[in-house]
Amino acid sequence: MGPGTLWMLAFFAIPVIVMCGYSFMPRGTYGGVDPGFTLEAYARFLHPVYLTILERTFVVALVCTVLCALTGYPVAYAIARSTKWRTLLLFLVVLPFWTSFLVRTFAMIFLMRDTGLINTWLLRLHLIQQPLTMLYTPFAVLLGLVYGYLPFMILPIYASLEKLDTSLLEAAEVLGARPTARFLRVTLPLSTPGLIAGSLLVFIPSLGSFLTSDLLGGAKGLLVGNLIQNQFSTARNWPFGSAASLILMTLVLIAVLIYLRLRLRPE
Amino acid sequence: MTRAIPRWLIVFTGIVLFLMHLPVLVLVVFSFNSSKFAVDWTGFTTHWYARLAEREDIVNALRNSLIVGVTATIIAVALGTLIALALARHRFRGKTLYEGLMYVPIVTPEIVTGISLLVMFVFLRFPLGLTTIVVAHVAFSIPFVVVVVMARLAGMDENLEEAAMTLGADEITAFRKVTIPLLWPGIISAALLTFILSFDDFVITSFVAGSGSSTLPLVIYSMVRRNIEPSINAISTLIVLATTILLYVAEQLTREKKAHA
Amino acid sequence: MLEAVIDRRAFLARALALGGTAALLDACRSLTDTRTPAQDAAEAAESLGPMEKHLAIYNWSDYVPPETIPAFEKEFGVKVTYDVYESNEEMLAKLITGASGYDLVFPSSYAVTVLIATGLAGPIHRQYLTNWDNVAPLFLNPVFDPGNAHTVPWQWGVTGLAFRSDLVPRPDSWRVLMDARYRGKMTQMDDGRDVIGSWLRYRGHSLNSRDPHELAAAESDAITVKKNLKAYISAPVKGQLISGDVWIAQLWNGDASQAKVEQPAIDYVVPKEGCTIWMDSVVMPRNARHKRAAHEFMNYILRPDVGAAISDFTGYGTPNQAAMSRIAHPVPYPTPAELTRLELQVDLGRDTALWDQIWTEIKSA
Repeated sequence: MGPGTLWMLAFFAIPVIVMCGYSFMPRGTYGGVDPGFTLEAYARFLHPVYLTILERTFVVALVCTVLCALTGYPVAYAIARSTKWRTLLLFLVVLPFWTSFLVRTFAMIFLMRDTGLINTWLLRLHLIQQPLTMLYTPFAVLLGLVYGYLPFMILPIYASLEKLDTSLLEAAEVLGARPTARFLRVTLPLSTPGLIAGSLLVFIPSLGSFLTSDLLGGAKGLLVGNLIQNQFSTARNWPFGSAASLILMTLVLIAVLIYLRLRLRPE
Repeated sequence: MTRAIPRWLIVFTGIVLFLMHLPVLVLVVFSFNSSKFAVDWTGFTTHWYARLAEREDIVNALRNSLIVGVTATIIAVALGTLIALALARHRFRGKTLYEGLMYVPIVTPEIVTGISLLVMFVFLRFPLGLTTIVVAHVAFSIPFVVVVVMARLAGMDENLEEAAMTLGADEITAFRKVTIPLLWPGIISAALLTFILSFDDFVITSFVAGSGSSTLPLVIYSMVRRNIEPSINAISTLIVLATTILLYVAEQLTREKKAHA
Repeated sequence: MLEAVIDRRAFLARALALGGTAALLDACRSLTDTRTPAQDAAEAAESLGPMEKHLAIYNWSDYVPPETIPAFEKEFGVKVTYDVYESNEEMLAKLITGASGYDLVFPSSYAVTVLIATGLAGPIHRQYLTNWDNVAPLFLNPVFDPGNAHTVPWQWGVTGLAFRSDLVPRPDSWRVLMDARYRGKMTQMDDGRDVIGSWLRYRGHSLNSRDPHELAAAESDAITVKKNLKAYISAPVKGQLISGDVWIAQLWNGDASQAKVEQPAIDYVVPKEGCTIWMDSVVMPRNARHKRAAHEFMNYILRPDVGAAISDFTGYGTPNQAAMSRIAHPVPYPTPAELTRLELQVDLGRDTALWDQIWTEIKSA
C-alpha cells in the first residue's frame, strides 16, 4: 500500500497544497507569482461578475442533474425490470460512458451546426424555412452536458434498483396497493441511494465542465471551468485561477459531505 | 403479472438509448462519406482514413497515446492493486477516512486536477512532456483501479487463501497460486478501463503536455477547433471502435467472475 | 516565480539544503530581467556549436506552407517537431512555465515585449543570419525590439472584417456588427484585445487605451453587439465562412485569403475607423536547446524563394523585400495614409488585469 499512497500524496495532495499557496500570493506582472501574502485573489472573486458566473454554473449543473434524473430514472427502471435484454442494455448504457467525451461532443457539433445534419434534413422536409440555431446556444451546452453525463445517472440508479427486494413489492400488491402507489411508496424510496449517488456523479463534474461550453457554447458564456482555464492561459493570473479552483473544489467537497450525510442517515 | 414492463416505458427507454448513440453513429457513417462538407451522401470512400496515415501529427500523437496509456496502466494497476488488497484485508486506524479520501480524486473536477498538477510541475521546474502526462494519468487512475479490484476482492472467498496455507503453502505461495489467479480477471478489467481512461483523457493532459508530446485527444481537439472535415470523423470512429472492443473484453472478463462465484 | 536565470540544479541543491520556506520563496521570485543589454550583446557575439539534430517549433496554425519544413529538414539533416497555438496568450502561458522545450516561437508585437521583459527572449546571434539584408527597412528596429536584438521579422497583417460578398453588401465600418439583419451570422475573434480594441477604434480611441471611460464605452458596445454574434471564434471560423454558416467575421487578412481559395466569394475590408496592424516575429527562447538549428531556420526563411513561398501560402505581408517580386499576389506595404488608420498593439503591463476583467464581463454578459 505504501508506494500507492505515496504516489497519491505526491501527485494529488501536494499539487493541491501548492495551488493553495499560490492563491494567496500576488500576481506577477507577466504571469506566475510574486513572493508575498495577499488575499486579493479571493477578494477579487467577490466582484459581481464572478459571483454571477458561479451562480450560473451552479444553475446549469442543477438543471443538468434534474434533466438527467428525469430521463435516466425510467431507463434504469426499465433495465432493472428486464431480464432477457439486461446485459445488452447495460452495455449500451456503459459504452458512451467510456467513449471519449471529446469525440461525443464533436458528434453533437456535427449534428447541430447550421449546415449540419439536423438542419439540412429539416430544411429538406420543409419543416422549417431557416436553419435553426442550435449550436452556440445555452440549449446546446445543456444538451451536451446531459448527453455526456446521462450514463453517470443511469448506472447508480440501476445498481440500486437491482438490489430491490421484489418480495416487498409483492407484499404491497397483496395488501391491495395499486401500481402507482407501489412505485411511490416502495420502489422510489428504496432506490433513493442510487438516485442521490447518480445526482452527485452528474452534478459535480458539471460544475467543473468547460469543454462543453467552450465547444458547444461558442465561447459566449462563461462557466467557472472556463474562467479557471482562462486564468491559466489568456489572463495569466495564476493566483486568481488557483483561488477559483480552490473555491470550486470546496463546493465539490461540500456536495460530497452532504451526500455522505444523506447516505449515513438511518433508514 | 407484475413483471410486465409498461409499453410506454419500453418505448421511452428505446428512444433514450437510441438518442444516446445517434450522434456517434452519425459520426461513423459520415466518416465514409466522400463529400468534404458532410451532410450530402456523395459516395462511399475510405479516403479519409488513408489521409490519417499521411498526417505525421496524428501518427505521432497515436504513438504518444499508446506509450502513455500502456505505461500509466501498468503503474496504476500495480499501485492500485496493492492499495486494494490492503484495504480489503487489513484493518487499521483511519481506514474509513483513507477510503473516503480515495474517492476524492474521482469526484474532483478534471480542471482542478489538471491545473494543480501543472502548478506543481512548474513549481518544481520539472519539464513538461510525456513523463508528466504519465504521472498525471496514474494519479487519476489509481482510485478507479482500487474500486474495481476491491469489488472483485469482495466477491472472492478469503478462506481459499487460508485453506491453501493450512494445506502447507506459505503466505507468498498462497498469494501467488491462489489469490492472484482469482484476482486476475479483476486486474485485467481494471487495466483495460485504466487504458481507456488514459487514452481518452483530454482536459488533464492538455495542461501537463509539453512540446512534441501531443496525445491523440489533443490533436483531435485542435482539429475540431480548426476545420470540420471528415478526417475527424475517421479518427473518432477508430477511437470508438477501439474503446468498444476493449470494453467488450473487460465485460467478458467480469462476467466470467460471476460464473465462477 | 519562473525566474529564468536561476539554474535548476542550483535551485534543487539550495532547496534541499535550506528546507521548505526558503525554497518556497526562492522559487516564487517573479519574472524580472536581470540581464543588461550589454550582457545580451556579449552573449550574441558568442559562437554557437555545430548543427543539432533536432528543432522544436511552436507556431500559429496555418502559418507555414506544407513544403517548407520538410525541405528544411532535408537540407540541414534535422528533425523538426511542430506544434501549433491559436493565440499569443496560449503561447505565452506555455513559455512562462519555463519548461516548454521549444526552440522557436512566433509572438506578435506586444507578446515580444512580454518575452523580452521577462528575460525569456534569447539574444540573436546575427552573425549566423547571412540573409539579414533581405529584410525591408520598414521592419528594422521595431518599437518593441530596438536593434532587432531578439527578433527576426516573420509576417505582418491586419485584423479587419472578412465577409461573403455573395451574401452581404460590402461593409465599411465596425458598425455592421450592430446590424440586426445579420443577427446570428457574424462573429468576432475569441480575443479580448481584438474585440475591445475594435470598439475602442469605433469610437475614435486608441486600441491600446487604458482610460476607464473609453474602456467602459467599448465594453458596452461589445455587449450590445454580442446579441448579434454567433460566437467568439478565431481562426477556426474559416470553415464556417466557407460553408456559409457565417457571413461576416472579424479575422486576419491572410486567413481570409486562405479561405478565399476554397470559396472565391470571400472578401476582406479594413473598417474606416481603423483596426489593428500586427507584426509577428520569430523569437528564440533563451533556454532553447537547439540554438544553432534555430538560427539556421531563421536564416532559411529569409531566403527570397522561401519567404515568397511562405507569403503565398499564408496570404500575409512579407517583411522580406527580396521575396516581394516572387509572390503571386503580394500584399503591398501600407501607404502613409493607410498607416494612420492602423495601430500596433502594445503590451498593457499592469492594466492587463483590467482588460481581462472587462473581457470576462463581456463574455458572461
